[in-house]
Amino acid sequence: MADSGDRRRFMYNLHEQSKPVGAVRWLPSVSPFLRLAAMSVLSPPAIEIHSFSSQNPNTNLNLVSSYPLPSPATSLTSFKSHNSTLVAASTSTGSLHFFSVNPYEGKIESQIISISDKDSFHCGPIQSIDVETSSTGECATAGEDGRVNLVLVGEDKVENFRVCESDGLVAYTAVKWGSPVEFATGGVGPGLQWWDKRTPGGPVAQFKGVLGRGTVTGMIHSIDIHPSRKHTCVVGGSSGAVYAWDLRWQQQAITLAGIGLEAKSQPFSESEVWEVKYDAFTPQISSTKVLPVMMCSEDGFLAVLQQDEPPLQLLEEPCAINSFDIDPQNPSDVIVALEWESVGILSRGREETEMA
Amino acid sequence: MPGIPSDSTSLIPFALEGSSQPPPVYPLQHGLRAPIHRIHISWSRGNLLNVTCLRPPPEQEDEMARDDDEVGGKAVEVMLGGAILEGNIGEHKRRRIAYESVKSYAFLHDKKMSLAKMETGDNLSAPALTYWWQYTLEYSKSIRDILGNARLHRPLIEDPKNFLKPEEVEQPIGTKAAWELMEIFYVDMQLLSWLPERLVDWLEEYDSLLSKTETVHSKLANLQRKVTSMQVVEDEPGYWNGLAAALAVGWLDVVAKLLRLHGSYDPDQFDKRETENGLVEAVVLLVSEMPRMRPNLSSGKLGICYQTKHDYIKGLEKWRAKVSGLESSPFWVHCNHRPTRDGLINLLHILLGDAKHIADATSHWLELFISHLLYIRPLTNGLEGMGNLAEKCMHLKPSANNGLTSLLVGILSENPEIVLADCLKAFGPWIVAHAVDLLTANSEYTDGLLNEERYQLGGASIGELYMLVYAQALASHPLTWQVAPAYLSTCLNQGRGLLEILLLSQPVQNYRVILKTLEICHLYELGNISTHIMKMAGMYQWKHGHKGLGIYWFQQSRDKTRLGQIAHKLFDNIGKSLSDDSFKQWEGLMELLGSDVGIAGGLEFLHKYREFKRSLQQIVHGGTAEAAKKSTLLLVQLMRNPSTPQRFWLPLLLDSVKLLEWRSGPLLGVSETNLLLGKLQELSMAKLRPDYHGGELKPNALGDVRLALAKNLGRAILEES
Repeated sequence: MADSGDRRRFMYNLHEQSKPVGAVRWLPSVSPFLRLAAMSVLSPPAIEIHSFSSQNPNTNLNLVSSYPLPSPATSLTSFKSHNSTLVAASTSTGSLHFFSVNPYEGKIESQIISISDKDSFHCGPIQSIDVETSSTGECATAGEDGRVNLVLVGEDKVENFRVCESDGLVAYTAVKWGSPVEFATGGVGPGLQWWDKRTPGGPVAQFKGVLGRGTVTGMIHSIDIHPSRKHTCVVGGSSGAVYAWDLRWQQQAITLAGIGLEAKSQPFSESEVWEVKYDAFTPQISSTKVLPVMMCSEDGFLAVLQQDEPPLQLLEEPCAINSFDIDPQNPSDVIVALEWESVGILSRGREETEMA
Repeated sequence: MPGIPSDSTSLIPFALEGSSQPPPVYPLQHGLRAPIHRIHISWSRGNLLNVTCLRPPPEQEDEMARDDDEVGGKAVEVMLGGAILEGNIGEHKRRRIAYESVKSYAFLHDKKMSLAKMETGDNLSAPALTYWWQYTLEYSKSIRDILGNARLHRPLIEDPKNFLKPEEVEQPIGTKAAWELMEIFYVDMQLLSWLPERLVDWLEEYDSLLSKTETVHSKLANLQRKVTSMQVVEDEPGYWNGLAAALAVGWLDVVAKLLRLHGSYDPDQFDKRETENGLVEAVVLLVSEMPRMRPNLSSGKLGICYQTKHDYIKGLEKWRAKVSGLESSPFWVHCNHRPTRDGLINLLHILLGDAKHIADATSHWLELFISHLLYIRPLTNGLEGMGNLAEKCMHLKPSANNGLTSLLVGILSENPEIVLADCLKAFGPWIVAHAVDLLTANSEYTDGLLNEERYQLGGASIGELYMLVYAQALASHPLTWQVAPAYLSTCLNQGRGLLEILLLSQPVQNYRVILKTLEICHLYELGNISTHIMKMAGMYQWKHGHKGLGIYWFQQSRDKTRLGQIAHKLFDNIGKSLSDDSFKQWEGLMELLGSDVGIAGGLEFLHKYREFKRSLQQIVHGGTAEAAKKSTLLLVQLMRNPSTPQRFWLPLLLDSVKLLEWRSGPLLGVSETNLLLGKLQELSMAKLRPDYHGGELKPNALGDVRLALAKNLGRAILEES
């Protein structure tokens, strides 16, 4: 397999924001001329929708609309539901907000729901949310208070169902749906857990993190599950650790970066991996291996990781990359949020020459 | 901090004794009704001050009577100073500059470290030094780019009536002007031979910063506004004044453009103006042929460049002869338009270096200074000569000094301490922290002066002191504090200590923030600080009931003491209650603590213990012999199991009394009773050890157990024999 690192061309534009940006997400775009992205501004806390011309990536990001939040957003997600674009955000004071966004121009039309209840919902920061988009539209919320809730936003009512209450014994930091009835959580203490709505009472599987030679004792910051491989979670966490956990081989995970690799290979990044996502753009090497995964880290790396391959580094920034998102419609395009109050847009081109 | 409540709604600080200036008064809007009863002031993060104003406590009846929404007090946040750069830059622009400049700064210092390692001695040797100023120049240029790229893009179609830079181009900032001034004088060694010309360029870019009203720039800006509406420009005195001013400071391209606006160029005119037009064109030609002692000119600028002094002097003599020739030409008589004639001759006088005309044409002393350098003393080189000239110009044209002009005076007086102090006053801590490297680039004397350790500064040097001031300003903002460590780490004397304080003062509520802080600890190899931070985070989370996170941080910091205490507390509570809820809690805690509890198989013990307790409870409420047998079996299992903590032996033995006193015959055999007796013996010995944890028991508890065991032993022996 040829080393694809050098042959790839990409365009990278940095947009200064003059306010701290927490998370960034692409929004499904309807117009062929306009691209939309949502971002969470930490101070003053708000959700902002920005647009830019898809023809000319050099143009600036334009702020289309903004909606204030009661406290800084901790997690942000965007999805399509019944022909409308929705943005969901959770905050550090334990509230959850759904906004509907005009898919043509990106205006926030209304706040659909906003839940905050210390007793029945979350008490303290909700660290992660994920919306099941294939059928139920349920939103899973995982909180530092040790609670996992499922929120169903209906036509005229909002249902909230408590899946787990650990009384502070666990602090949940990540959640991701695997199927309409199964989801994975990451937390301090139990590590990675797999839940099934059909089996109430507790997680159905658990991975405490034994990787190769070492044990992952750090935190889990992000989980991703590929829709075509629902049995595998990729996880990003402390000490540069990125690994894949296969439900069929629960005892041992596959390391993609960080601790547990062979001694000869230099760890790529040793700091926090804030976000991981499957990268549909990078071609898959072998069907038996873990699909390519993109990660961003506190020490400023954006890279694509593949099993048993050296990492393909896309960006090396002087400050932390707090969040990124790959556009599901155009997987070549990546948006990143940088610590130093800016947002970058990376457009990866096709490979220049095809292999003979 | 002293403060007295005034009767108005503002706070006024006390006047400081011995200060010549009146103390500044900052009104504080707290919105409370007078009178204010108490004021509490406390420092928050960085430069933020928390001021709490309290009204007098209401009387009992008063409170009942008054039901309005009058608040009893208010806390106000006051941001003190905090200017990283001068005032006319927005807060976000300042942060942007702080973010961008740290890269260049860190790069230069890495270079410095590696060079210092290469050289054996402490001081950089001669060859390294020659490279060094080039590195510093690179650094200076990168910082200059960060401060803003004011180079304008020329419009494709130029309006002949536009002779000044368009207004919408980014306004120059004083910080950049000051930076460039320092670069000119301290860093670029190639520039030394054409220093005067470099200053001319500098003034062209930053003239508007000298003063709002009294500059050549403001004069020309006025003219630019009026010129479109002027019918006959050469009749306006403003036109000729502007021309003279622009020429005096050497903006030759502006002069040429302005002269070409002269009415004699107009093709359709009634009277004959060929001579007049010829004279104007001759002046334009002379202006554009002016010899300049510089290697090159940027495009659009006029003049003829000379590289060496010799060529320049030759060129200058020739050109001056041409100018005098034109001045004494007979054609002037044929020029009928008087303002044109006077104006043009004035321009020629300036070109010839007539001091009076130059003084009339310029507005600010710095402009006069530049003008002298251009036309009267073009070969002035040394700082001393320039200093004398500047003094003379200031005397001739007294004008208010601002940050930039005082900086120039400081530079010319060759006093780096004054330069830095002036910079700090006018442009804030950012520029000073970054300029120390400029000042020391080429001068061993300055290097010694600024980097010498001083006893009265606590062992720090002046350079370090400025660095610390800047780091402090950075640390005061929650968005820029992460930049501060890069500067603190270069401060050898006090940077380390301040860095530790900065890291320790970061909030520990949010685990993501903690992880970011820990990352910095890791980067600067501050292992003990990260341990401290993790312990603080652990305490915070534990206190707030987040046991999982609390134990996680304690484990990360290897805080054996606290984990041990938690384990003891846990064991103390076990056995007190048997409800499912609390059991779930213990189970969870036990799992979290894992091997930190100090026993292997802690969970296994917990389950067995619960089972035993439950069956014992049934017996107390009247159980069968079967149940009693089962309990006994569990008891023996627990006592035999090495994972049972010693502290549970006594409670277990006490519980066993109930079984020992079972009415229908002994439940324990001889060997089992012996086992219990053995444990009891071991326990009595262990009691003498200092690390013994007994828990609260009745004083005669041990005696009771011993008696019951002895009785049972007797019964068992009888039974078995």
